[in-house]
Amino acid sequence: MAATQDGNDELGALTAENEIPVMPVQVITRPYMLQQIRGPGSPIVYNLEADVLVVGRADDADIRIGSTALSRRHMRLERYQGGYRAIDLDSSNGVYLNEVRVHSAVLRDGDTLQLGNAVFLFHEGK
Amino acid sequence: MAFLVRFWGTRGSIPTPGRATCRYGGNTSCVEIRTDDSLFICDGGTGLRELGVDLLRRGNTPISAHLLFSHMHWDHIQGFPFFAPAYRPQNRFHIYGTHPGDTRFHSLLSGQMRSAYFPVDFSELNAHVDATDLGADGARLIEGVMVRCFEQKHPGLSYAYSLERNGRKVVYATDNEIDLTLADPTLPVREPNAPRVIPGKFIEFCRGADLLIADGQYTDAEYLKCTGWGHARATTVVDLAVQAGVRQVAIYHHDPMQSDRDVENKIETCRLRAARFGSPLFVFAAREGVEIKVD
Repeated sequence: MAATQDGNDELGALTAENEIPVMPVQVITRPYMLQQIRGPGSPIVYNLEADVLVVGRADDADIRIGSTALSRRHMRLERYQGGYRAIDLDSSNGVYLNEVRVHSAVLRDGDTLQLGNAVFLFHEGK
Repeated sequence: MAFLVRFWGTRGSIPTPGRATCRYGGNTSCVEIRTDDSLFICDGGTGLRELGVDLLRRGNTPISAHLLFSHMHWDHIQGFPFFAPAYRPQNRFHIYGTHPGDTRFHSLLSGQMRSAYFPVDFSELNAHVDATDLGADGARLIEGVMVRCFEQKHPGLSYAYSLERNGRKVVYATDNEIDLTLADPTLPVREPNAPRVIPGKFIEFCRGADLLIADGQYTDAEYLKCTGWGHARATTVVDLAVQAGVRQVAIYHHDPMQSDRDVENKIETCRLRAARFGSPLFVFAAREGVEIKVD
């Protein structure tokens, strides 16, 4: 790596003699994801990009699961504190977070969500 | 809908932020219990700060809430000075003592907001904060909810609260060393699998609860080193819930040294115990950010 007369190296960072340059780091990003691991349509991964998404069997659901075990509008996912929160939309069969029936929950990486006969794994983004 | 119960802080003793506790949370005790017409807040640990932020986010309508404190140890009151709705003049908060003339909770909450401890004085809170009580019998109908209290075993005393409405019942019972009240406190060590005999009065207080939120801070092994510290074995809470015919129990007030994995192992032990008794009881770990509907 050639050094210029004023001490700049090819990376563009000013360096004193014997000093290691600070190198720019490429930031890896990954979206929040809902991975369906069981039930109709699985396996499939949904990237969560919208602020609000509805999961259900309705044709206009953002994440549509073709099963009568799900209500038409079963669960809403909404942005919350930089992540997502899941809310049961008064579904018939409930929303189960890691086997606990919940009305709503702030989601964490690795959580499982069961809606009817569909099971999902939630992945936090970066 | 009878009740919506949301956990804002589930940790005991001291807040424990960090990677190892991010699933179940590191905020100290705070539970929100709502009906269509009323708002109850059980304890004001650090979780109360985030509850306050959320209450303000829900809208501009005046907030009226009933505050029930189990006791005044730091981890149950340290969130109050940061409870933003208490600084807004349109809001009203009622702090309940357990009997007529009991203003301890109000006094101690205001006491922690003096210049030696905190830069904002209690008198600077703009909301209306009053001291009231549950009456001579420790029971009072509040906005359609029958609220009762029960004295518990804890250094300096603590109180459990039951809330009943439309045939549904939620019990909040934290900081209670049930193990010291057993008919035979040595039985869990001599015969760990044997059912533990819990005082009948407490069983009746919890009888038939749809949701019991109870201090299950310790594993059996941890409890041996922490006997007398004011908290229970999680497994003893299972016995209580089974004997009281409780539908589901949230093990609460997790020890600050317990990681998420430790909490999960603790719950697994509790579930095995309930199954061994042939009980349909459902056991889960109280977790920050989770809301349960009781209807």
